[in-house]
Amino acid sequence: MAVFEGDRLEEAEEILGRYPEGRERSAIMPLLYLAQSVEGHVSRDGLKEIAGLLSLTTAEVEAVASFYSMYRLRSTGTHVVSVCTNLACMLRGAGEVYEAAHQAAGMRHGQELSDDELITLHEEECLGVCDFAPVAQVNFANHDNVTPERMRELIAELRDGSVPEPSRGGPAISSFKSASRVLAGLKEAPAS
Amino acid sequence: MNATFERRLTRDWDDPGVIGIDGYCAKGGYEALKNALNMEPAAIIDTVKASGLRGRGGAGFPTGMKWSFVPTNTGKPTYVTVNFDESEPGTCNNRELVERDPHRLLEGTAIAALAIGCRTAFIYVRGEYLAQGVILEEAIGEAYGAGFFGRGIAGSDVDLDIVLHRGAGAYICGEETALLSSLEGFRGQPRLRPPFPAVEGLYASPTVINNVETLMSVPDIVVRGPEWYREMGTEKSPGTKLFTISGKVERPGNYELPLGTPLRVLLEDVAGGVLDGRSLKAWTPGGSSTPLLTAEHIDTPLDYESVAAAGSLLGTGAVMVLDESDCVVDAAQRMTRFYAHESCGKCTPCREGTWWAERVLGRIADGYGKAEDIPVMADMGKHIMFRAFCALADGAASVIDSSLKHFREEFEEHVRLGRCPLREEHVEVASAV
Amino acid sequence: MSSTPDVTLTIDGKEVTVPTGTLIIRAAERLGIEVPRFCDHPLLRPAGACRQCYVRVEGQPKLATSCTMTVAPGMMVRTQNSDPEVADAQRANIEFLLLNHPLDCPICDRGGECPLQDQALAYGPGDTRFREAKRVFPKPIPMSPLVGLDRERCILCARCTRFCDEISGDRFLELFARGAGERVAIAAGEDFRSPFSGNTVQICPVGALTSTPYRFAARPFDLTYGDSVCPHCSAGCNMRVDVRRGEVVRHLARDEYDVNDSWLCDKGRYAYRFPDSPERITTPLIRDHGLEPASFGEVMTKIAGWVDGARVGVLTGGRLMDEDYYALSKLTRTVFRTNDLDHRRGSGAPEAELVAARTPMGVTYRDVERAPVILVVGLDAEQEVPILHLRLRKAAAAGARIWVVHPRRTRLQDVATHILIRPGDEARVFAGGTDPVMDEALEALRAAGDTPVVLAGERSGAADAAQTHLLGSGARFAYVTRRAGDRGALRAGVHPSLLPGGRSLGEAGAVESRWKTAIGREAGRDSMGILEACANREIDVLYLVGVDPLRDFPDGALARRALENVPVKIVQSLELGSLEPFADAFLPAAPFLEKEGHVTNWEGRGQRFRRVRDPEGMSLPDWEIFASLGLACGGDLGFETLDELHDEMGELLAPLEAAGPSIERTTTANHGTDGTDGLTLFTYPLLVDEGRLSERADELKAALAAPPFVEIHPDDAGDVADGADVVLKTATGEVTLRARVTEHVAQGSVFVPFNQAGCQANQLLDGDFVTSITVEPVAELVDAETGAEA
Repeated sequence: MAVFEGDRLEEAEEILGRYPEGRERSAIMPLLYLAQSVEGHVSRDGLKEIAGLLSLTTAEVEAVASFYSMYRLRSTGTHVVSVCTNLACMLRGAGEVYEAAHQAAGMRHGQELSDDELITLHEEECLGVCDFAPVAQVNFANHDNVTPERMRELIAELRDGSVPEPSRGGPAISSFKSASRVLAGLKEAPAS
Repeated sequence: MNATFERRLTRDWDDPGVIGIDGYCAKGGYEALKNALNMEPAAIIDTVKASGLRGRGGAGFPTGMKWSFVPTNTGKPTYVTVNFDESEPGTCNNRELVERDPHRLLEGTAIAALAIGCRTAFIYVRGEYLAQGVILEEAIGEAYGAGFFGRGIAGSDVDLDIVLHRGAGAYICGEETALLSSLEGFRGQPRLRPPFPAVEGLYASPTVINNVETLMSVPDIVVRGPEWYREMGTEKSPGTKLFTISGKVERPGNYELPLGTPLRVLLEDVAGGVLDGRSLKAWTPGGSSTPLLTAEHIDTPLDYESVAAAGSLLGTGAVMVLDESDCVVDAAQRMTRFYAHESCGKCTPCREGTWWAERVLGRIADGYGKAEDIPVMADMGKHIMFRAFCALADGAASVIDSSLKHFREEFEEHVRLGRCPLREEHVEVASAV
Repeated sequence: MSSTPDVTLTIDGKEVTVPTGTLIIRAAERLGIEVPRFCDHPLLRPAGACRQCYVRVEGQPKLATSCTMTVAPGMMVRTQNSDPEVADAQRANIEFLLLNHPLDCPICDRGGECPLQDQALAYGPGDTRFREAKRVFPKPIPMSPLVGLDRERCILCARCTRFCDEISGDRFLELFARGAGERVAIAAGEDFRSPFSGNTVQICPVGALTSTPYRFAARPFDLTYGDSVCPHCSAGCNMRVDVRRGEVVRHLARDEYDVNDSWLCDKGRYAYRFPDSPERITTPLIRDHGLEPASFGEVMTKIAGWVDGARVGVLTGGRLMDEDYYALSKLTRTVFRTNDLDHRRGSGAPEAELVAARTPMGVTYRDVERAPVILVVGLDAEQEVPILHLRLRKAAAAGARIWVVHPRRTRLQDVATHILIRPGDEARVFAGGTDPVMDEALEALRAAGDTPVVLAGERSGAADAAQTHLLGSGARFAYVTRRAGDRGALRAGVHPSLLPGGRSLGEAGAVESRWKTAIGREAGRDSMGILEACANREIDVLYLVGVDPLRDFPDGALARRALENVPVKIVQSLELGSLEPFADAFLPAAPFLEKEGHVTNWEGRGQRFRRVRDPEGMSLPDWEIFASLGLACGGDLGFETLDELHDEMGELLAPLEAAGPSIERTTTANHGTDGTDGLTLFTYPLLVDEGRLSERADELKAALAAPPFVEIHPDDAGDVADGADVVLKTATGEVTLRARVTEHVAQGSVFVPFNQAGCQANQLLDGDFVTSITVEPVAELVDAETGAEA
């Protein structure tokens, strides 16, 4: 089954149309997000289809996809939990928050995807919320002043099937796929 | 909060109404754009030049001059690109500016576009700012609806489009040529200069790239004039600036102050002092890429010249505060790990140097350092600084250089004791890779 | 071209004057000052990535990379030779580069000829302070069947990826990820399928990219080598042939900026095993009961008897050198007393041939590089003359507008506008008014004065059509023949109606007086005519020099009848191959690397190549065999040494004063199917095929050869689905092939590669490379059978 077909293909065309004529290559980043929103990560098929849409080689597309940390080229959980551990957060206890997340998600050392494939845990560089350090994101929605205790609650809520309301900036993002749609500049899809 | 001072960029922060276009217009929003539509492009540029506004992204380059470098007779389109890839550790004022006053950014961008004859402007927002991107999308939709973008903006015969483009997690894209590579659909690696973006930027066309805070300062300058703008700040650094203060302080946050305000005022009067009454050990004046300063420098005025004289850089005006209990080796190791993670890989000293430094610092921090590691680190700072393709590596070298310069004994103590002197005993920490 | 003003600067205290825009590193080279470098390459755009080439430019706060900064008047530059900080920075950079580089030089293919090894010794610290663990990767990681990557050795200079991006346009090799994790890679499921892939190995400054065929094959100090010119096509690439204990192990490109820059195509680089083929025969043979070894004397005596008073026909191909062709032309005219002599595969392009034969040098690579407007007609440059394809891309990068008129899309598609036409339609579209895109091209051609270039290939009379219709435009015209020897053969008169220097038979006087013999004024038979005459028993002796009629000519059936019916067949070649049952005598020829001489490329540029090794066994250069044979037959070609031969060639191949006579267009030059509703088959050999010179180039074929296929336009495909088997029928034959239904071929046209594995297209042809054809789906019954079998 193709990654871009039906409505997704129309959305891909719409994304191409955002950029000046002849500059469609600029659409590669939102198209990668769109592919990610379909499959939960950017698969080989996704890379290949984007290459087809833009008349590039698959290598050219993978070169771009692998450069940026927000494109996931491997299997990824339903939710992505990002914990900033950069200096401002570190000074305010981010290390403990990250440890708490790791344990709460039941992960072994070096593991990033929980066994139930519900959560991908990502240690982040500065998320630009130093004023509310330490911070985390669930599907790129912000959670401020996170304590280890609060982190355990967040993970527990995800386990229970709900997505915690973020501290600021709009409603919760229901999944990593949904976040990827928003990042592609599209409205979050109704739950299928 | 400093009561004696008139807020400019943040004056409407207490009014959530300005997030919507009606509230923004009710407070005089988009009047500056209408004024600018009646001005010659050269007059807009002259006004901004006269204000002395300097780019807030870190380098402090005069904004009006930057605009004046753009040739408009090349037969190619010109572009304005907003650098909203705010990723410098410790820095988050652009985020809050957009969250609280998104239309001001659009208005400033539109004025910049008029000044250089641009018909399509781009906003490059870092991917992690998902919510802020949505806020901008909504504001853009409103502004198109109100006729401030699209065909014949604000009743004029000028067409102007604006496109939001999201990054995807790469600090390097804040570097302007890397940002352009990324916006064009390539890996975000910096490009050779010359040609400079003003001549060959986006799509090989003349391009202005401005920081969010810079552009948001423009509408007031157009409406109130350059003299008004110069009423605050210093002669060479006029106006106000949003400082971010974070780390070990009582009230971390973004605070607008006139340029030239001493750190002591920001730290003690505005942010409530060091957390839990501890004492100041070290601080960055402008994000992690600027050399660390110490308690000795607490009276340094926060403007471009004074901070430079103290041996650092004003950068993004992001102050991160370390107190007496914080280990400088840990901090340096964490920062170096950041640069290693964010190095684009293009050039040798940055790619290999940050990778090596992260490992050596990790060993020292964990108590496995050797005496000969310290001169190696000093050398490494020297061999990375000013040797790499772009300034990312200079930031990495600054961390190493400045932490060794001010706190060499602390490094030596780690090696001598085989542990962090600030901790009671040897605690083995698995080094993160 | 207006000359750019010069700039004078000082480097290490020495003044040098160079053109504006010169990079400091190049200016230093002018003074003989070497600044170490890895990412810098004179044919790639500046990258500034490796940071090795630091210099100090006085007045600048930071050290500069000399590969990215251009000179300025009065600039004071100091290199590592005169500035300790520069030397220190370079030393530190090498320390950085070696952090993760394994010290496995003794087992590395690059060891002994490695820029990193050499420069680390010259400019490096000599020791390391690195105590951490190095990065390691599995190895070698295949990029293609030809190229492997030892990733831990890579220093990420990006020469390879920039080559793919800027030079070949085959962007299959890319940098993935970032930071210390950055790596050269291909996408999963997408091979590095470029006919120029080997260049990335040659320009790799470490042992990261290696050639699979050369991997662990030799050490640099084991090799003997010689300067040669590639025998595979008319590009004329300068190359070095590396020999280990007598066996060829590698071809490398030599720098020649007038011809091949620093590049070779993969066929030139990797199809090098044919001289060492086990099939090669290095002794003369004579048929007694079977073919028996004999001395040259015995065989030549026998041949002298056969040809005495007999009707002789001579066929050759495109792989001899200039001297061989000249000697053959003279032998045929003076000893066999006939004009039945040809090197061409088809009926040719008489007008274009005449110009090419008379012109020592016409349009050059440099002309192509600088042309603002280029028209490519009847030529698939990437597949036929690959280095010309790279020059066209270079021209495009410099801003040239390029149009390609061809029945099939070529790999210039990203830089050129294609006008897909049915074979034979060239004259019609050139006349104008039929295709707006063509008219735009014609207009651009006319508007650009005398700088535009028209490059016409061998396809379907395109060259003559172009010459006839475009001469008035002012464009400069080149007939781009495909094979390495074609131009030399034309110049030497290995042709039924042309004599040395491009003289017509009517202009034979000068040749006759030099050769001291009379030459028949009646045109001889062309190659198809000779085969026809053999089949009709009108020729007694057929002399085949480096040619195989069963494979090389566009009528397989006729070739077989010719071989069956002509009484005597003499074969002179490296091997017998499919001619083994037919040959009455065999004369062992030496391949290019075992002889010395010249070869003339498509430009008309004669380039000398050197003997790399002695001839194997008893084999001899072809011209020496011709000279001996002349003597054995009672003639005397008049030369015994190359110098004597060159003297004579110099006289007869000197440029002629008079313009050539106009040649009457023959009806055979009217190709195509004249606008009928039917389909037209056209065929030409792809770069990598079953040609004799690609024997044993297994890795090359694995990398680039495709399974047998036919290309059909969707409008012509009817019910045929892409990927289905179809039956192709012509007047002479029938084959079943896998269909590629694609808009990359012109409507009404059907393409079958000429010499692909598993399908000899000449069984479908009757004397021309174009013919009428029908395409039908495989019949259901057959389908069911094969389905049942599968």
